[in-house]
Amino acid sequence: MVVLEARDVTKSYHEGPHEVQVLRGVSLAISRGEVVALEGPSGSGKTTLLCILGCLLGADGGRLRIEGREVDPRRPGRLWSIRRRSIGFVFQQYNLFPSLTAMENVVYALNIRGWRGLRAMREAERVLGAVGLSDRRSFRPRDLSGGQKQRVAIARALAGAAPLILADEPTGNLDSDSGAQVLELFRGLAREENRALLIVTHDPAVRSIADRVVAIRDGSVIPLES
Amino acid sequence: MVDLALKMLLDDKGRFLATVLGVGFAVALVLIQMGLFFGLLENASITIEKLDADLWVMARNAPNVDFGNPFPETHVQRVRSIPGVARADNLIVWYAVVALPTGAKESVIYYGLEDFGRWAFPWNVIEGSTADLRRGRFVMLDESAERRFGPFAAGDTREFQGLSLKIIGRTREARSFTTNPMAFIDYQLAQRLSPEELSGQTTFIIVKLEPWADPRTVRDEIQRRLPYNDVHTQAEWMSISRRYWIESTGLGLTIFLTVSIGALVGVVIVAQMLYASTTEHLAEFGTIKALGGRDIEVCGLIAEQAMFAAFLGFALGLALTLGLDPLLVQLDMKLSVTPTMAALVFVATQVLCLSASIVSFRKVRSLDPAIVFRG
Repeated sequence: MVVLEARDVTKSYHEGPHEVQVLRGVSLAISRGEVVALEGPSGSGKTTLLCILGCLLGADGGRLRIEGREVDPRRPGRLWSIRRRSIGFVFQQYNLFPSLTAMENVVYALNIRGWRGLRAMREAERVLGAVGLSDRRSFRPRDLSGGQKQRVAIARALAGAAPLILADEPTGNLDSDSGAQVLELFRGLAREENRALLIVTHDPAVRSIADRVVAIRDGSVIPLES
Repeated sequence: MVDLALKMLLDDKGRFLATVLGVGFAVALVLIQMGLFFGLLENASITIEKLDADLWVMARNAPNVDFGNPFPETHVQRVRSIPGVARADNLIVWYAVVALPTGAKESVIYYGLEDFGRWAFPWNVIEGSTADLRRGRFVMLDESAERRFGPFAAGDTREFQGLSLKIIGRTREARSFTTNPMAFIDYQLAQRLSPEELSGQTTFIIVKLEPWADPRTVRDEIQRRLPYNDVHTQAEWMSISRRYWIESTGLGLTIFLTVSIGALVGVVIVAQMLYASTTEHLAEFGTIKALGGRDIEVCGLIAEQAMFAAFLGFALGLALTLGLDPLLVQLDMKLSVTPTMAALVFVATQVLCLSASIVSFRKVRSLDPAIVFRG
């Protein structure tokens, strides 16, 4: 089942008097259980595309559908509800809340999604167990290694059954061993949990877990391999 | 639910403590200023409140209870004959110079009545009996007089306007706004102390009404019979006496300015601390937005932090204020902090701290959630 469908998405920025076309008709579709890697050099528009697909930014043109629902760029005030309901994020910098424990980081994200009380606690325990951090749930981010922090971030993204996970350079701050563990975890969980996973990356190791690799060049997405 | 707001706030204990201390001192400043102000104002009308007279008759335009002007004492007969008047008596409130054993001279404000017992006045006699005042040249002094007169005891004598009076008792809590000590003497003795001004004269007539009497009707009748005098109810006279000090001394304006500055200091401290904290946690607020948090929810976090700091700061300020009270009593100063005042200051503290958050609200509302991808 297609979770994300982007068709002819365009986006430009104004830099002084100049208009810079960042995305020129990007089309991409990702289904549940599928892992797609998105590669591209710096400045190619990866982050802009990620922001649009993640409903953090509105496109100038084209169409975007998440779980079959049209995303209307003319109503930026409604994008938060789509993110809340349908999208989980994993960031290169982890973006965990330093004053919360691993467990609280996951529960807080669930609270934002409307999960409360025991239901939220149980879901948090489940996903932390799935990433192998049950014994670290009372630890704060400062007491975790980089790989462990990223696993907490993955657990947070998975918690609450969002069908689409967007990951921005998830191994960017990790050593190769930790990075490999995180990628394997990603793949296993995406398939077990039946989520659609888009990984933006420079790391060639991501190709080994991806069902499909696409590249963004000159504002367009081209398939590389599957 | 995870309370991220408080955890974020308490994570930086140094800043949190500084914020609470700032609010606490601002609250203490406001409460102490207001408490001293209202304490002084209570002194301005305490004798009116305690005398339990329903109506007060005085010379035209008498400004307050401490500054009455003389008028004929025979006017009391016209008042006593009015239906509805249960009793009416002349009351003298005047000033005398007292010679101290040291040779120094101090002023005292004295109350002269024929029958103190009938009016249950003064209200807090801690030594002696007012019934003895009419038996000779006797005086009762409030114990607060010791601060200016030095120690005194029953049996001591002091010269009031050159007349030697024997102290036969003492009272408590009887203080005027002017901080002059209060004394209580027989009515005729009061006239003798200042014969040029007070011979055949009084400064007030105090009136107690029958339970069935309408105060307005009786007041109007008194006014008709004494057209050159003013007649006020107890509540009116209390208000007039207090207002005199607020308006004529500039005290009201001074207190208003001091309280405003105290409040402003608190707001600035909270605004600065919250803004610094918000800027430091922008990445976290961006993450919350990226996860689907709405602007109002993120602003709610900041508001919760402001209100929590306001709550603790108020508690600290109130504790400081009440802790200071024994010291102020030692200095013969009255701090009047009522539950209503405390509640109003609490609400004001919350409102002001929330107002201080507005700059932070604007910062997070304009925050682009895509910041989370910028490392």
